[in-house]
Amino acid sequence: MDLAPPKQCVPDYRGKFRVTGAALGCGPAASVWRSVFAVTVAVVLLALTSLASSAAPSASDQQCLACHAMAGLEKPLANGGTLSLHISGDGFAQSVHAAIGCAGCHTDINLAKHPPAANPIASQRVFSVAMVQVCGTCHNSEFQRWGNSVHAALVHDGNPDAPICTSCHSPHGMMKGAAGSLPTVPCKTCHSAIFTAYAASVHGVIREHGMLAAPLCFDCHGAHDVAVPSAGVGRRDVCLGCHTEALTSHGTWLPNAQLHFDMVSCPVCHTPRAKRVVNLILYNSATQKETSRSAGIPEFENLSGAASAKQAGLDPTTLMTLLGALNRQGVEGKTGIRGRLEVRTGIEDHELTFASNAIGTCDTCHQQGAAAFQSVEVSVAGPAGMPIHYDASKEVLSSVFSIDAVGGFYAIGGSRITFLDLLFVLALVGAIGWSTVHCAARWGFRRFGNQMPRGPGKE
Amino acid sequence: MQRIYLHPLPVRIWHWLNAVTCVLLFLTGVQIRYVGIIDVISFRLAVALHSWLGFELIANFFLWLGYYLCSARIRAYHAELNPVKYFLGSLRQTLYYSYGIFKGLPNPFRPSVYRKFNPLQAMTYQILMLLLLPVQCVTGVLLWNLVRFSGPVNLLGGVRVVDTVHVLIFIFFAFYIPAHAYLGTLGRTPGQHYKEMFTGYEEAEEESTDAAE
Repeated sequence: MDLAPPKQCVPDYRGKFRVTGAALGCGPAASVWRSVFAVTVAVVLLALTSLASSAAPSASDQQCLACHAMAGLEKPLANGGTLSLHISGDGFAQSVHAAIGCAGCHTDINLAKHPPAANPIASQRVFSVAMVQVCGTCHNSEFQRWGNSVHAALVHDGNPDAPICTSCHSPHGMMKGAAGSLPTVPCKTCHSAIFTAYAASVHGVIREHGMLAAPLCFDCHGAHDVAVPSAGVGRRDVCLGCHTEALTSHGTWLPNAQLHFDMVSCPVCHTPRAKRVVNLILYNSATQKETSRSAGIPEFENLSGAASAKQAGLDPTTLMTLLGALNRQGVEGKTGIRGRLEVRTGIEDHELTFASNAIGTCDTCHQQGAAAFQSVEVSVAGPAGMPIHYDASKEVLSSVFSIDAVGGFYAIGGSRITFLDLLFVLALVGAIGWSTVHCAARWGFRRFGNQMPRGPGKE
Repeated sequence: MQRIYLHPLPVRIWHWLNAVTCVLLFLTGVQIRYVGIIDVISFRLAVALHSWLGFELIANFFLWLGYYLCSARIRAYHAELNPVKYFLGSLRQTLYYSYGIFKGLPNPFRPSVYRKFNPLQAMTYQILMLLLLPVQCVTGVLLWNLVRFSGPVNLLGGVRVVDTVHVLIFIFFAFYIPAHAYLGTLGRTPGQHYKEMFTGYEEAEEESTDAAE
């Protein structure tokens, strides 16, 4: 990159830019050396961030800002939109990236041909996605971790709203620590409803009051390697990451504490107002992982579609048929169901309350008709590991057809099989009734019948 | 009248411990399963009691097993291998309970030291002691700690399958316990058999002695 100033760089009447003056020479060899030089400068200057950030823009940056500090500077895009080219000079001067200067990232700019006469940028999103590669030049570790995140997976799936580096970190106004601060944490830009719930939760409240040990978004979800938060027991393990004593303390009063930790998501009890749902997760016994929709299970789509049309969700017989169909596909291992009690939405997941307000009574869940078992869903792993949920009728928890199909989930009292209740009543009433009738008959025959004297015997 | 020593002390201890334990297990089981409908004690206390009683039942089962394995009286639990003889004996006993007892006819079965169960009792107790009770104990232990025993539980088809087996045997006991208590009153007097299970002796007519034993 040639840091010499262009002859002129002025906005035209439409707010678009144009360049006048002679182009400066730049061959391939010169470009390589310039890139090496730029990176070296970037590394050295980055070490002096604290000093540089408070300094005025460098001379070369001032050359760029001569045009880019102009309000309204923008570039037309192929899709009809515009790309803002305006940079706040003061904001950039105070940012951590001021140390590496404009050339640290924009190594592709050839001032001899800048701005280019052609218009090669398809859209702002295309430009932004392409530019995140530059971030990886210095922030390689973070970039690699982002590449394995659910965010990156969504980007690769073509989700136009999936966040890239610049979605969270303003490249020209990057302030040290801004992403890790409660008022400026970038997650809330997209996840505003969840952040509002978090801010009112025990974590948000005590963080607001200065206890920085209380987790902020990235403490649980990861800063760059953001994982699917609702996958399996991942949520529990995240909680136990800080609350290391939780299992021991719960074990002092909660029977089968480990089992509860495995089967019940922490927010189920620690978000008392939340609506709960039984999540029946299809998994493969061979891989010990969730069955993936991409593995090819058309029966599931057909059956769940039919069930949805009836507005009732998967019923017990349909679910049983579905599992049978899945296990006839010749896939290694058996597809079964593992159930977990969870809260319905990600928002409720974050409304965690103080421990003193958490549910601590067994019969909240362990009784027929408990609110916890009124909503049921069946889930499989979808793209990027995000679970896909299908509604199921609550009868799948209490049907005799579910003994095998839903073998992996049972809550004493709360999801008992209705048919067994009927058998129990019949057995008890039958025994008492038979004894009563038999006894009455004996008395009647003895009283009114022609009975022979009793002999010895043993019954 | 002849006094036959049918129930040795270890059997009587086992019987009454077993009876009390089974009744308490049944009651705490009902409380656990039907909390919200029945709220005599808390769910947590019911679970704790049910677990302790379960282990007591297992220990008691081994008292019974140990005694009979070391005693010739185990012949009482030997299966009748002659199906015709077994069928005819069962038919006679069924006819007695459904007809003869009302007419005051004598019980067709004559107990002895080594053959104290009539054919219906023998079948019931063989199924109960050698199948249902062990299965109930095993499923109970599995349900007691599902995390520790997750391997065998998954092998058996999951927690719901294990629980269903446990509940089906519980339902059997729902029939068996009242029926057994009532059948115990069908002696010459309502308290005769209950008394025998305390004293160990059965009073029978002289001709009831089984010379074959």
